[in-house]
Amino acid sequence: MDCIKKKVNEELEAGWIGPNTACDYHPCHFTGQDCTFCYCPFYPCEDEDLGSWLIGRRGQRVWNCTECLLIHRQPVCRYIVDRVGELGITQAGDPRFKDIHGEVKDRFYRMGRALMVVGATSDAGKSVTVAAICRILHRRGLLVAPFKSQNMSLNSKVTMGGSEIAMIQTLQSKAAGLKNPDSHMNPILLKPKGDTVSQVMVLGKPYADYDVESYYDEFVPGPGREIVRENVEFLKKRYDCVIMEGAGSPAEINIYDRDIANMGAAKIADADVILVVNVDWGGSFAYALGTIRLIPEEDRGRIKGVIFNNIRGSTDSFRSAIPEFERLAGVPVIGVVPHADVVLPSEDSEGLRGVRTKGDGKCLIGVVRFPRIANFTDIDPLFLEDVSVVFVEQASDLDGVDAVVLPGTKNTVTDMRWMTENGIADKLRELRGKIPIVGICGGYQMMGRTIDDSNGIEGGVPGTVMEGLGFFDNTARWGAYEKRIANCTGRMLVGEGGEVTGYELHMGMSEVNEKPLFEIGGRFDSGPQPEGSVREDEMLFGTYLHGIFDRKPFRKYFLSFVSHDGRRVDTADTRDYDEIMEENIDKLADVFEANMDVDALMGILGGSQ
Amino acid sequence: MRVLVLGTSSGAGKTTVCAMICRHLMREGLDPVPFKALNLSLNSYATRDGGEIGIGQAFQAWSCGLEPETDMNPILLKPSGGGVIQMVLRGKPHQDVTKDCPMDRAAAMDAAAEAYSRLSSEHGFVVCEGSGSPAELNLIERDIANVGLMRRLGIPAILVGDIERGGVFAAIYGTWLLIPEDVRPLVKGFVINRFRGEPSILRSGIEEVERLTGMRCLGVLPYMHLRFPDEDSLSSSEGKLEGSDARSAFMDNMDELTDACERELDFEALEEIARS
Repeated sequence: MDCIKKKVNEELEAGWIGPNTACDYHPCHFTGQDCTFCYCPFYPCEDEDLGSWLIGRRGQRVWNCTECLLIHRQPVCRYIVDRVGELGITQAGDPRFKDIHGEVKDRFYRMGRALMVVGATSDAGKSVTVAAICRILHRRGLLVAPFKSQNMSLNSKVTMGGSEIAMIQTLQSKAAGLKNPDSHMNPILLKPKGDTVSQVMVLGKPYADYDVESYYDEFVPGPGREIVRENVEFLKKRYDCVIMEGAGSPAEINIYDRDIANMGAAKIADADVILVVNVDWGGSFAYALGTIRLIPEEDRGRIKGVIFNNIRGSTDSFRSAIPEFERLAGVPVIGVVPHADVVLPSEDSEGLRGVRTKGDGKCLIGVVRFPRIANFTDIDPLFLEDVSVVFVEQASDLDGVDAVVLPGTKNTVTDMRWMTENGIADKLRELRGKIPIVGICGGYQMMGRTIDDSNGIEGGVPGTVMEGLGFFDNTARWGAYEKRIANCTGRMLVGEGGEVTGYELHMGMSEVNEKPLFEIGGRFDSGPQPEGSVREDEMLFGTYLHGIFDRKPFRKYFLSFVSHDGRRVDTADTRDYDEIMEENIDKLADVFEANMDVDALMGILGGSQ
Repeated sequence: MRVLVLGTSSGAGKTTVCAMICRHLMREGLDPVPFKALNLSLNSYATRDGGEIGIGQAFQAWSCGLEPETDMNPILLKPSGGGVIQMVLRGKPHQDVTKDCPMDRAAAMDAAAEAYSRLSSEHGFVVCEGSGSPAELNLIERDIANVGLMRRLGIPAILVGDIERGGVFAAIYGTWLLIPEDVRPLVKGFVINRFRGEPSILRSGIEEVERLTGMRCLGVLPYMHLRFPDEDSLSSSEGKLEGSDARSAFMDNMDELTDACERELDFEALEEIARS
């Protein structure tokens, strides 16, 4: 406490400073934040709207307000500085801070408003619409949080707090200008394990496995609803707006009463709703009208606007029918948005369905498409370079590739077996040393000598021990049903060095007898640890880190081994993937802003509750 | 007998469902023939008499055990880039459709009606395929292959909805709502296509749509991994399929599909609709 007091005293002396862009950690919460009170003068305010009690390591009660953003808002900081001046307060802990806290709360604090974006179908454009709205509101100085109650996705990321959430919510939180997405933004994450069973993650940690029936019969009406309520409330207490994303269509009337992802969540959050329809497939007026009319009357009133999305070509003819549509639907159309030519990661395997190749570069990289492929957004940054990807499903797909990526998988054991049986494994052994091969996470585990699942944790069959590709003298082992979830930063131990960032998400550990590729240490972890394996002479690379191509040093290093027709591949775009995403989010928001009635959007946000 | 198969969107599965219906009717000895008034596609097939039709109708013709002919697809629109669409009428290039030079709709409609009449007089059952969605509010009054055909010829119709992308009940109900009232009574049934899972889970939703629209659900077709050549993915196969491996592979596949779907589709109800 004394240390905090000392800092607050310094802050009181310094007065109002606004955003401290000179700070290494800036912005630690959100773009445009006010840093006057890096340490809060109200601490511990004990105000349960803003924080909560935790039990500390020594069993003591600790006031936790790490997710309170009130003290980083500019009008709040200015007000406090003014009041402190008027009252002549110079010392932290002055009892009059209690009064100022009360005044600040009265003036500046209110519960946020929730708005939900539902889609007439999967792939309607919900995720990008939420991202665009987050950015549009962020540009207007609002503090915005994305939210998706329930997401089924194999592409996830790790928060600073070590929780696993869907990749797309991290992208949306970036669009909202937030530095650190957290698990409240996607409290329920379903990770398909097989055809009917999913691992349910709650607040970023494994909760239990459910099949479809037990999920709807037991989880949804039981803990499900409460989880949605708690987390959306949590965000509403801390943000001006919570922009929620639905899942699939809200008009699946056969399961309507068991829904916590669409209108069910909107009801829990008391949110108004915008319906997004993808025009590209045709039938969009019918999809929109049918969706609105099938939603039971008591909920239909929540639908306040329709956005027709992804129109290619001229929108004139389409627009001519809008008055008639509005008359029939009784809901205004608030956006007619053309196809936006942006590069953003695709949400789930929908984006890969039927896709055999991607990109238009000269150099051809084969990505083995495991039946249980996971976190394949890892390869997205490769498209920034002169690269095309071919998805490898049989050995012959590897003919002519210049490099191979073995991506992550939800099941190393069954996918290794798949790769052995269809001949891809043998073909890779032939290619060893001839072209660069990189394995990530599950793909890295497969590159080892042995895959030891004696306990049957990964594959479900005790006593399973199988050969890996044998590229590294490593053994992957599943000791217990546990998952390593960690956000990592570190440096490369190869090439010219350089910083790497990424995240680990895996069951099973590797016993490694190879030269490490990286040295990593989480920000709060103990000392640096070796990570990954490398045999540069054979062009073999393996790592548990997802997101490894996002930053330029490793991308450039890996591509330096790749050649096409005897020519090295130039790494043209050597920016970080993050910067490019940032640019594309802006482009996307520009398209929406130009083609959407933003006043109507603000009206809907102002009118809810 | 005749029926028009409409789709709630592009890619809903109209072409496949029509081909499957054709195959079934051929097996039943009902002498089916395929017909699609208007096709918007770059993939065409050259008929024996040197006409050009959409590739989908060629496949459907083979499913009927027939040789493709131009009457099966009297109007073919081939986008040739730069806002120009080549209009093929009765198998021959007719005009370039541009913004300033719109399609001669009346001539097209007449050509469609004439072709249909010839097929209808020569065969026992005309299996008509719609084009895109029949519920494009901005296009309905100019429509030829969907509402246009229903208005001109009074052909009864069924709707095919694709459940794979979700929202199928909304798609079917919304399409029905947007079909103009004068022809809406002709739409008598619907089919849910590409379903994975246990169909009983859909029961309550199907019943609700039946109650709201008065249409009958004719079946829930399973998702099948088919090698059925998608109309728009056959750019390299123009006119080269006859007698080829692709054609026989397609027919084998077609039989598998028909076997699987025959169990799920209520053909008695379909024939009842086709006779009405």
